[in-house]
Amino acid sequence: MSSAGAFMNAAGLPTGSRDVLPTEARELHEIEEGLRRAFDLYGYREIRTPAIELDAVIDRAEGERAAAYRLFDDAGRLLTLRPDPTIPVARLVATRLGERPDPVRVFYVATAFRPPTPGRAEAIELHQAGVELVGASGPAADAEVIAVLASALGSSGLSEHRIAVGSVVLIEAVLGALAIGEPLHGRLMAALRARNHVAWRAAAHEADVSGDAGRLLVDVPSLRGDASVLDRVSRAVPAATPAADELAATLNLLGRHGVAPAVVVDLGIVRERRYYSGIVIEAYAEGVGSPVAVGGRYDSIAARYGRDRPAVGVAIALPELHRAVVAAGAGPQPRRPGVVLVDGLDAALDAARAARRAGVPVVSVPDAADEARRLAEAEGWRFVARRDGDEFLVEDMEARETFRCAALDEIEDGGR
Amino acid sequence: MRVCVPLGALFADAVEALSRATDVRPLADLGRRLVVEAGDGTTYITTRPSDVPTYVEAGAADVGIVGKDVLIEGAPDVIEVADLGFGACRMVYATLAGDDPTPDAIARMGGVRVASKYARVAREHFAATGRQAEIVRVNGSVELAPLVGLSDGIVDLAATGRTLRENGLVEREEIFTSTARLIANRASYTLLHERIDEFVAAMPGVLRP
Repeated sequence: MSSAGAFMNAAGLPTGSRDVLPTEARELHEIEEGLRRAFDLYGYREIRTPAIELDAVIDRAEGERAAAYRLFDDAGRLLTLRPDPTIPVARLVATRLGERPDPVRVFYVATAFRPPTPGRAEAIELHQAGVELVGASGPAADAEVIAVLASALGSSGLSEHRIAVGSVVLIEAVLGALAIGEPLHGRLMAALRARNHVAWRAAAHEADVSGDAGRLLVDVPSLRGDASVLDRVSRAVPAATPAADELAATLNLLGRHGVAPAVVVDLGIVRERRYYSGIVIEAYAEGVGSPVAVGGRYDSIAARYGRDRPAVGVAIALPELHRAVVAAGAGPQPRRPGVVLVDGLDAALDAARAARRAGVPVVSVPDAADEARRLAEAEGWRFVARRDGDEFLVEDMEARETFRCAALDEIEDGGR
Repeated sequence: MRVCVPLGALFADAVEALSRATDVRPLADLGRRLVVEAGDGTTYITTRPSDVPTYVEAGAADVGIVGKDVLIEGAPDVIEVADLGFGACRMVYATLAGDDPTPDAIARMGGVRVASKYARVAREHFAATGRQAEIVRVNGSVELAPLVGLSDGIVDLAATGRTLRENGLVEREEIFTSTARLIANRASYTLLHERIDEFVAAMPGVLRP
């Protein structure tokens, strides 16, 4: 019957976009509030950038053209729907907050837009929340951002997560120390970005490095675990020791931030974006196959906007985080202590007004008790009330009991 | 750990490879079940080969075994952990025996018509070699297409070349060779890193450390 229609997007939405209904919207809102609280505790302040930017400005940071929605304005200038929140934030910090003393700490809750890849079910709107720490470098800054991430994930309701930390400089230090030139260097980095360990090992064998260093080179993408991974790198490739020590120092600080148990070193991580220039971060949670957060250090972007400052940041993917929170067993939201009031639109309008003044949400419905109950059920309100003489007859949908109370603002005490 | 196992041509070799790392006894007698659990805590998910990357990418399975041909066609966001070495086959372009109709089709018809289950592979192969091609996507018995005039040629996997010969087709170009790969979900690769490393170390493979 509906089989032919099922092939059409019944909602009439572009592939890759979707609506958010009230229950999900409320859960997302609470997750965002949790994130904001954590960002605030570390002194990060919210900024907002426009969704539409000049293409030339965004393009400046990428080196290669990112997939994006592009359009023309009435003067024929090429515009871009931001494909990534980090670059606009870097632009804002460099151009508007350029004179602020270092470091600058900002956060955002924003949507980025990416055209779909043909044949893949990807969202085209990426809802993200993230922090950027600008004007501070070294392990202390890196560790702070990772600590903020851990704290934010916790405060959004996700207690169990893993934060994988890699380092682009460490990989480059290893390749540099082993004198790996082009084209092998390019092939290795491309393999790492594609997460193709088979191609990495094939190229690493071709590099023909002997001994411990050779074995290490072959193993790089699969090196993950605790700080002992970094010791192995230093022993096998002594010239990479400074880069390994820097990451070790970050891990050490994370211990003092109290988030060490959630952190794992993973040298196989390099983000697809080429602007990352130091640590790279990916956070994972049970029940979600893709990262709930990604980020890293990108020291070279600000200079392209005229103010050379180091920067490190991380972006949390809100739908993935929500999925993880649900997978971790967060039950449906409890009923809200509001009241569906029969006749609240006219006959009981005064009572509704008084209750709202006392902070009790009131949903007014016309006189039809069944409808009121169905509405309370569907929207998760706890009470259904109707006037009965001088009092209210109140049905508690949660406790499955009925009681009387004199005024609706006493409703939460069960009328007592 | 949840392992996605391809049914079909790779199944026997995949089970043999897995037997070195996990308890594969439940796979010996699947019956109609699609998901079976072993005593050592391994869950096996059996799917058609082209679905393996889908399950692994979404995290419904932690690791999976799949032909490189499927990875090239689908380009899933998974970690290609190891080349398991078995299941060797070649992706080829083939046309009916006799004169190769390709140059003539390109010269006179503006392009060659190619039928394939691997639309992306076919499109990229002809694009990379600078020839115009119209790709006709078919889902089974690709050899039929040139026999009945649906296309000039086909792009398909050939293990021994027997199916091609039996249908009067000859290989004109080799596009790539493929073997079975071990793939892992990105999150699982980090979250279960000790278990997965143990598992990988026990599996067969080429170019392993």
